[in-house]
Amino acid sequence: MTILIVMIPLSILLLIGAGIAFFWAVDHDQFDDMKTPALLPLLDPPDASEAQHATGHRDDAETRE
Amino acid sequence: MTKDAHACWHCGEALPERDAPVAMIAGQPRAMCCQGCRAAAEWIEHLGLADYYRLRSEPAQRPSAAPAPGQAWSRPGIERHLVRDAADGTREAVLLVDGIRCSACVWLIERSLGALPGIERVQVNATARRARVVWRPDLASLEQVVEALARTGYEALPLDAEAIDDARQRESRAALKRLVVAGFGAMQAMMYATGLYLGAFHGIDDSTRDLLRWFGLLVATPVVFYSARPFFEGARRALRARVLGIDVPVALAIALIYAASVFEALRGGVEVYFDSVSMFVFILLVGRHLEMRARHRAGDLTDALARLAPRFADRIRDDGSLERVGAAELKPGDRVHVAEGSGVPADGTLASAACRVDEALLSGESAPVRKRRGDPLVAGSLLVEGPAELLVERVGSETVLAGIALLVTRAATTRPRLAQAGERAAAGFVARVLVLAALTAIGWILVDPSRAFAATLSVLVVSCPCAFALAVPAALTRALAVLAGSGVLVVKPDAIEHLAGATHVVFDKTGTLTEPELDLDRIETAPGIDRDEALALATALARGSRHPASRAIALHGAELAPRNATDVAAEAGGGLSGTIDARRLRLGRADYALPDRVIADEHEDAVVLADERGLVAAFHLSERVRAGAQDAVAALRASGLSLEIASGDAPSKVAAVATRLGIDAWHARLRPADKLARLADLREHGARVVAVGDGINDAPVLAGADVAVALASGAELAQAASDIVLAGERLDALAGARATARETMAILRQNQRWALGYNLVAVPFAAFGFVPPWLAAIGMSLSSLVVVLNALRIGRRAQAGPAIAAPTRREVAA
Repeated sequence: MTILIVMIPLSILLLIGAGIAFFWAVDHDQFDDMKTPALLPLLDPPDASEAQHATGHRDDAETRE
Repeated sequence: MTKDAHACWHCGEALPERDAPVAMIAGQPRAMCCQGCRAAAEWIEHLGLADYYRLRSEPAQRPSAAPAPGQAWSRPGIERHLVRDAADGTREAVLLVDGIRCSACVWLIERSLGALPGIERVQVNATARRARVVWRPDLASLEQVVEALARTGYEALPLDAEAIDDARQRESRAALKRLVVAGFGAMQAMMYATGLYLGAFHGIDDSTRDLLRWFGLLVATPVVFYSARPFFEGARRALRARVLGIDVPVALAIALIYAASVFEALRGGVEVYFDSVSMFVFILLVGRHLEMRARHRAGDLTDALARLAPRFADRIRDDGSLERVGAAELKPGDRVHVAEGSGVPADGTLASAACRVDEALLSGESAPVRKRRGDPLVAGSLLVEGPAELLVERVGSETVLAGIALLVTRAATTRPRLAQAGERAAAGFVARVLVLAALTAIGWILVDPSRAFAATLSVLVVSCPCAFALAVPAALTRALAVLAGSGVLVVKPDAIEHLAGATHVVFDKTGTLTEPELDLDRIETAPGIDRDEALALATALARGSRHPASRAIALHGAELAPRNATDVAAEAGGGLSGTIDARRLRLGRADYALPDRVIADEHEDAVVLADERGLVAAFHLSERVRAGAQDAVAALRASGLSLEIASGDAPSKVAAVATRLGIDAWHARLRPADKLARLADLREHGARVVAVGDGINDAPVLAGADVAVALASGAELAQAASDIVLAGERLDALAGARATARETMAILRQNQRWALGYNLVAVPFAAFGFVPPWLAAIGMSLSSLVVVLNALRIGRRAQAGPAIAAPTRREVAA
């Protein structure tokens, strides 16, 4: 059972690490808005859509599909 | 979402019967319900953002027809309060954005603002409905930001610069950290405890046992000293105020269990309870967290306070003309014109003859108060009958309203009556448990002192008040979330209880069952009077009023050369009167405008303009039944409610709407006082009444009902007096809301019975020493879990299908 003397402190160190990471995440706005970020990956990159917009409203990329 | 061929592509409302405006979106012609929607949709298309329509999950908000007051935002006096200068020369403001319905709105706002030159950063939080915008002052302005949002169909309200450092955000972050620390601690403590329990059965050497106990102490200590701090602070506050709040027994139990465990660990005694204490704190924090989130959502609604205080005022110049300025720019001694239905911008005294105001904000009493010349008026109260002239005395942070807003933000807003009752029950229960625990200890010391401590702790732990304390907030929180998701904003949580027990629904007609915007069909003039002349006179009277009929007239008369009306006064349920070119004119219902004359049948339901000599003109307005009204009425009736219409309108019009919707009981030509009497009559006969309304005429009626429901675009007045707001003006959501409310009450009662039943069974067992503390801790956790899981069932049925539960008669008082 002496292994416990190693394993439990190790688990507690991991726990403290996880706790610090969580505190950091909370302080860096990660938990303030749980809704919006879920949608962001679905969006086209802004540069692409703006470029398309700049070239005079060409919607052919969309209509072709 | 389903795209209905008869619904507006942009906002989802019903299309007009003919000549719907059409916009080209992504190469397809799409029909719109109004020009506002067409403009918004074309603007979105022009920005290359038509993807919004693919991404969104909710229809957009219908853009308001009123022009955005963009220009006024950039006046230096206002900007000073709303804008913060950053070190790198940029400016920053936080806007409360109305109409964020789904995440696609976030995308749309970020993109459409990002396309403006000079905008550095846009950050939208859909949950808090706030947008933070950073811009370069040489290229853009707050005015442009607000205007761009208005063009896309969102109404934006800049918040004070202090709102940037959000106290609420700090609170929720701290709570989240405490919760997670408690969760981690409870998890680890449970793990070591499992080892100890297994050791107790299979044998464990003392050194390993002590090792596990010391680690238990290590993880439980931050839980007790960090996570549980709110309980200790709450208990200290309660004791200082000499009351026995719920925090007192909770803090006592935590301190007792922890201290006893530390003592036992130090002396190598029989049992330690680090797992129980951690779990106890964790479960309690879960309950608090749920409650905090509900409170914050309510806090969003107290942002309405920001809206109650008007940002703009119409200052009267020396020559008598009006000048639109920011409320913050007013100085003591200024004279301000306040239109009927709008808020008073500053504290001061009434300088015109008389008016009536709703001071619910101050007194909680929403019956309008009559004011005479020289009486004090407070900022944020609403002018029910006006217009009025105000002599400003105090502005900004010195006003009574500012004091109230401060109180609201500081105090945790009023807690629902149900939750208070639940908490009182829990506190009483805990007091009894403490007595019982003491008796148990004394009893066991007499019988078998070695088992006294374990049995006493078992009683304390097994009978934990969590299930009691969670029973109500868990159900209410879930209900508020479900309702908010379906567009029903509950302003006062008590309304859920009342809505579930309602027996009658009284609808207002205009603006509630029918569309708020009226159309001016035709104008009939007395011989010798020009049509434009009549319209110009009526417009002069109607300009300051927000009644739908006034707005329809003012809209049509806007292009004519403006006339100036003085002494304009309004009588709720009657009409307006005023003097134009020394001629006394009345505009309103025929019996108001022509008090002593026989009214011709064709003028019965028209808006009549008359002078001392008689009829000048009659304005015939037309109205449409609101989309969804039919479904709402059918569903409400199916759930066993009696429906009726109480309207101030002419009998023929009310009858027409009642017949179309299949409502048998209707009352026409009711003044607000008559409507109140009708409600009082119903309530006297045991009915519990839901009043649904919108518009100025309803405010006293809404205040007189058990539950007041307002449609979100109604005049500010109706919203201020309401318990429930139907966002997006979706009347059909009301039936679903009632089903949810009934379900909530049923589950809430189940929860309370479960908590009581569990404790009645478990406590005697524990007192007689049949329950070891570890089993007590599991039982306590499970009983709390059952309560939370049960609460999560609310809204399941509504999501599965729109079926409305068959009505069951049941007493409501808990």
